[in-house]
Amino acid sequence: MSPARHTPNFVGWRALILHRPHDNVEALLAQCARIGIAGEAAWPAIEREAGMRDYDVLLIDADRGHDEQFPWPAGSAPMPIIALIGSEAPGRIAWSMGQGADAQLLKPIGSAGLYSALVAARESFTRRRSQEQEIASLKERLLKRQALAEATAMLMHKHDCDAGYAFNLLRKKAMAERQSIEDTAERIVAGAETDGRKNVTNGR
Amino acid sequence: MDEVSFPVGVLFSVSGAYEQPARQGYFGAMAAIDDVNASSKYPFTLEAMHADPAGETDRYAELCRHLIRKGKTRHVVGCTTSWSRKEVIPVVEKLDALLWYPCVYEGFEVSENLVYVAACANQHLVPLLDYIVPKFGSRVMLVGSNYIWGWETNRIARDILHCSGGEILGERYVAIGDEDIAHLVSEIREKRPDFILNNLIGQSSYAFLRAYGALGAEDDAFNPACRPVVSCNLCENEVTLLGDVAAGNYTVSSYFRALASMNDGPAAGLARNGGPARIADAFFVQAYAAVVMIAEAIRRCGSDRADAVLHAVRSHFTQTPLGPIRVDPATNHVSLNAHIGRARADGDFDVVHESRGAIAPDPFLTSTPLKRPYARTVETKRTLRVVQ
Repeated sequence: MSPARHTPNFVGWRALILHRPHDNVEALLAQCARIGIAGEAAWPAIEREAGMRDYDVLLIDADRGHDEQFPWPAGSAPMPIIALIGSEAPGRIAWSMGQGADAQLLKPIGSAGLYSALVAARESFTRRRSQEQEIASLKERLLKRQALAEATAMLMHKHDCDAGYAFNLLRKKAMAERQSIEDTAERIVAGAETDGRKNVTNGR
Repeated sequence: MDEVSFPVGVLFSVSGAYEQPARQGYFGAMAAIDDVNASSKYPFTLEAMHADPAGETDRYAELCRHLIRKGKTRHVVGCTTSWSRKEVIPVVEKLDALLWYPCVYEGFEVSENLVYVAACANQHLVPLLDYIVPKFGSRVMLVGSNYIWGWETNRIARDILHCSGGEILGERYVAIGDEDIAHLVSEIREKRPDFILNNLIGQSSYAFLRAYGALGAEDDAFNPACRPVVSCNLCENEVTLLGDVAAGNYTVSSYFRALASMNDGPAAGLARNGGPARIADAFFVQAYAAVVMIAEAIRRCGSDRADAVLHAVRSHFTQTPLGPIRVDPATNHVSLNAHIGRARADGDFDVVHESRGAIAPDPFLTSTPLKRPYARTVETKRTLRVVQ
């Protein structure tokens, strides 16, 4: 079953609405209560000691919001963000997207909209997070490509074998050591460990 | 002294693809308006203003706007399908009126300008599955009309069954009004589900029930006593039209005629106004209850202003044929019973399970666990089968 078919549930979530006191905030707090979310409003920034990181979702004001409201660089918020948009000025939309707002609600806020925005924001946030992690790991592996080639060449030379055989040796070694093949290759290249002559000095 | 009169919009289709339940809503609202006007309890009368969208979704918004702007009404009782309700919401929100929606629906909605006078999923589908699954099993076929009610109700059922160890054997949709359902029945015959959850409406639902009835007559394995069709919105009026073919199948409802006490005022009123030719079923009674709530609120606050009326129905219980009702301020929904009925050939229902009490509305399913305690009961049933 695809997760999209699941009934989204936000019970127990804490939402922070960064907006000056306004009817729109009241409407959002009422919507929060209906879907089981503890909503709080703060402006211009949160005063409590705990800080913004304690919330599961942030609702930010695209009309009056600014970078200094947040204790992290733009775009690296550790939770989903929903932008509250009054003026559809391109600059303000760009600002809210730069903060990482994956969903938007247009003002005036009525009795609906928050639920869909939450579903969209959480889904996008989760997907973006996992893509970022995957990209980071792929980048790291790309950087280690050279070590992989060098280590394969060293093993070919040492065992007088072809590239396929050498790579297989490398792979088995990585498996035995429970390491990524790239890390094993790096160690071979660095000479931290070579076959048959293990840490001779350590034995003394 | 001049007679004070308040206009009430009645926005129901009396023709079209789902005319049966829609007409029931119309008759229920009109019967209640007659009863209010005949009662000495109210120092005013209600003036019924009916508009008929004829089952065309795109006509609802325009007609509702007309009722409010030209008819000067602040209260519209109406809409049967979710599609039509979604069309009307922006109109009542913009024009500061209230829509009193008297039909079961899928939930996931709370408008400040709507009063939901019928069950959402935790008050119909969930108790229905809670009753049916332990008795018949959890291998289920889902059928529905191709619109939001069918999609969403089946989606919730799928989610619940998935979380509770059940299995969905198939999920099929047909367009509203479509009577070409032979493929559904042949798929059911092949897959042999423990029961069929029917979220078809109107003509499609009748065609399906007739075809399934014919299959049951031909092959005993598809007798409703063995593999029933279960519905959240198939009521006395439609079962009476269907007769034999619907008998033995199950419906969950906040109201069954068989349970209604003839001693209380509103039910007696229904018996009178309904007359022998008119059947007071859930669709009828929910619309009736909506009008009674409007009248009682106007009586309490002396005004038909939307905000004053809403405040009154949130603050006081109103006696209705559905029981005493107070609108939940957080959701604008109401607590309702969920009785389970088994259809009889004469159009009435044998109530096989009476609600243990009114169920609080949970339109976003935030406090209703989707994992239901089925596994043990299904196991018990299997054991019993072996013992027998």
